[in-house]
Amino acid sequence: MPSALASEASEDQPMLNAPAESRESVATNPYETSIGLSDQRIRMLPGASDTAASFEFEAEDHTLGNALRYMVMKNPEVELCGYSIPHPSEAKMNLRIQTYDGTTVYDVLEKGFDDLMGLCDVVIDKFTVTRDNFNDAKEKT
Amino acid sequence: MSREAYAPPTLQPSSSNANTNTTDIAGPSTPYECGECSAKLQLKKGDAIRCKECGHRVLLKTRTKRMVQFEAR
Amino acid sequence: MVPEPIPPETARRRKIVGVNAETVTNVTSTDFPGHHPGEDHEWSLEKFSQNLEVQFHKNDPLDASFSLVGIDASIANAFRRIMIAEIPTLAIETVFVHNNTSIVQDEVLAARLGLVPLTASLSGLNWLQFYKKPATQDDDEGADDTDTAADNNTIVLKLHVECAWRGAEGIKSGETDPEKLYVNSSVYAKQITFEPTGRQNSEFPEPDGLVRPVNPEILLAKMRPGQIIELDMHCIKGIGADHAKFSPVATATYRLLPTIDIVKPIVGNDARKFARCFPKGVIGSEDVTEEESETSKELEGMAGEKKAVVRNTFKDTVSRECLRHEEFRGKVKLGRVRDHFIFSVESTGQFDSDYLFLESVKTLKAKCSRLKRQFANVMR
Repeated sequence: MPSALASEASEDQPMLNAPAESRESVATNPYETSIGLSDQRIRMLPGASDTAASFEFEAEDHTLGNALRYMVMKNPEVELCGYSIPHPSEAKMNLRIQTYDGTTVYDVLEKGFDDLMGLCDVVIDKFTVTRDNFNDAKEKT
Repeated sequence: MSREAYAPPTLQPSSSNANTNTTDIAGPSTPYECGECSAKLQLKKGDAIRCKECGHRVLLKTRTKRMVQFEAR
Repeated sequence: MVPEPIPPETARRRKIVGVNAETVTNVTSTDFPGHHPGEDHEWSLEKFSQNLEVQFHKNDPLDASFSLVGIDASIANAFRRIMIAEIPTLAIETVFVHNNTSIVQDEVLAARLGLVPLTASLSGLNWLQFYKKPATQDDDEGADDTDTAADNNTIVLKLHVECAWRGAEGIKSGETDPEKLYVNSSVYAKQITFEPTGRQNSEFPEPDGLVRPVNPEILLAKMRPGQIIELDMHCIKGIGADHAKFSPVATATYRLLPTIDIVKPIVGNDARKFARCFPKGVIGSEDVTEEESETSKELEGMAGEKKAVVRNTFKDTVSRECLRHEEFRGKVKLGRVRDHFIFSVESTGQFDSDYLFLESVKTLKAKCSRLKRQFANVMR
C-alpha cells in the first residue's frame, strides 16, 4: 500500500551510523525479528504431568516440529511423541510427549534438542569434507 | 441517505472548504501538460480543454512533486 | 537384553518405498524403538555418523546437486524448508518514488524492484543486521524497540533514468528501433546504483563487494523520450517466510533415489522396448551367457540374446511407463530408496548454493540451542 508521506519536507534524512559496539549478529529465525530474540517461546499446556505433557512452541512450524518429533521418537523411553499445528493462521506448534515411567518429559525433550544438534554437527562436517574433496578433484582435471 | 440531506452544488464555492491551490479571483488552477507537444499550462474551472500552443485536446494532469513511498511487496 | 541384529534382506526391504502403477507401498519409516520388537533403533550419534554418506554430483554457485544418504525424511525436509524460508537475505523493501512518468505504475514498479535478486560481499552481508520495522498505527502503542535506519541495517540504492532522443546523427530515416532512436528506452537492473554510507564503504568494497543486482540485464521498465524514473530504495535483511523476495533459493528440492528391480529376465525385443520406457542410460543390455541359459529356467536356450540390465537408476524419472505394458507384468519392480535424498539447490545468486545448505544446517542447530535455553525456563 502506498503511504504518501505527509509533506514535501519529509525528504530523505541523512542516515545514522550505528554505534560500533552493536555487533550481536547471529542468523536469526524469521519470526524472531518480529517477536524478539529473548522472548519466551515455549509454554507448557495445562494438564501436564511429569511423564505426559504438551508444549506450545510459538513461531515454529513443521520445520522444527517434524525434526524434533523424529529425534524424540528415537528415544526408547518415549511412549509417544507427536506434533500438530492447531490452526494454520496462528504461528504455533504443539508437541506432545508421553514417556514410560522412570524418566520425565523434560529430560526427553532436552535429549531431543541435544541429539538434533549433534546430528547437525555431523552433517556439517561430512558435507564440508565431501564438498572440498569434490572441488579439489574438479580443479585437478 | 435521505433525499432532504442532499445539497445541490452551488456555483459559488462555500467559503469554508475554500480552494487550496493557487488562488486568484477566478478560482484555483491546476497544472496540465499537453499530450501532444508537452507544453505546460494552467487550467481554471470553465477553461476550454485545449492546448494553448498546438490546440491539441488531450491534456495530462502533471504528477505530484511530492515523494511517494511504497513497500516493495 | 541383547538386541537382535537386523538381517540384511529385511533391512533392504524396509529401505525401499514401493512404486506401483497407481499406488505406493511401505511409505512410512519404521526405524523407531519398539516398532520391531527386539530390535535396537535407539538414536546413536556414532551409528548415524557411520551411516551418513554425502555424495556430490555438481557444485556450481547457482546450482548444486548432492546426495545425503542415511538420513530421515523429517530431517532432510527441515533442511529444505530452512533453505527456502529461513535463511536471511538482502532485498529491496521500500521504494521512495520522487518522479515516475513512465507507463509502469509506481506500485507495480516497486513490486518489480523488490523481486530483483541482489548480491554483495559475503562478509558485508553477514555484517549487516536485521532492521526492525517501526510499528504501524494499528499495532499496540509503546513499541519502543524499533530500529532507525542506520548503516548497519539498511542499504540505500538509487535509480535515476531519463529517456531522451539520441539525436539525428547516424540514424537512418525511417528507423523504428527504439534502442537506436532513444537513449534509455529500456531501464535495466544494472542502472541501479549503490549509495554506501558509514561503514558500508569498507564492508562493501569496490568492485566485487558492492551491493548490486545479480543479473544486470533484468528489464525493469520501458520508456519514451521525456519520461523519467527517479527513485530511492531501501534494502533490508529478511527471510523467505515473510516474503518470497527474501528467499535465497530459486528452487531447493530433493528426490529419493529410484530403484528398478528386474525380477524375471527381460530378453530380446522386449529388452529393447523396456529400455525405451526409461530415460537414456537407465537401462542397458547384456548378452545372455551360456551359463545363465543353463542355470535359469526362463533363459533356457537364449544364450547370445540381449537381456535388459539396470545401469544407472539415478537418471530415472520414475515415470512408471514400464508398468503400463502387459509384457513386463510381474517382471519388474519400481521403488525408491527411503533414506537416499538427492538434493538440488539453485541459488538466486546472493550466496553460493553449497553455502546455503550449510547455512540451513547451522540455522537448525541455532534454533535448537536457542529453544533449549528457553526450555530451561519452562522447567522452573
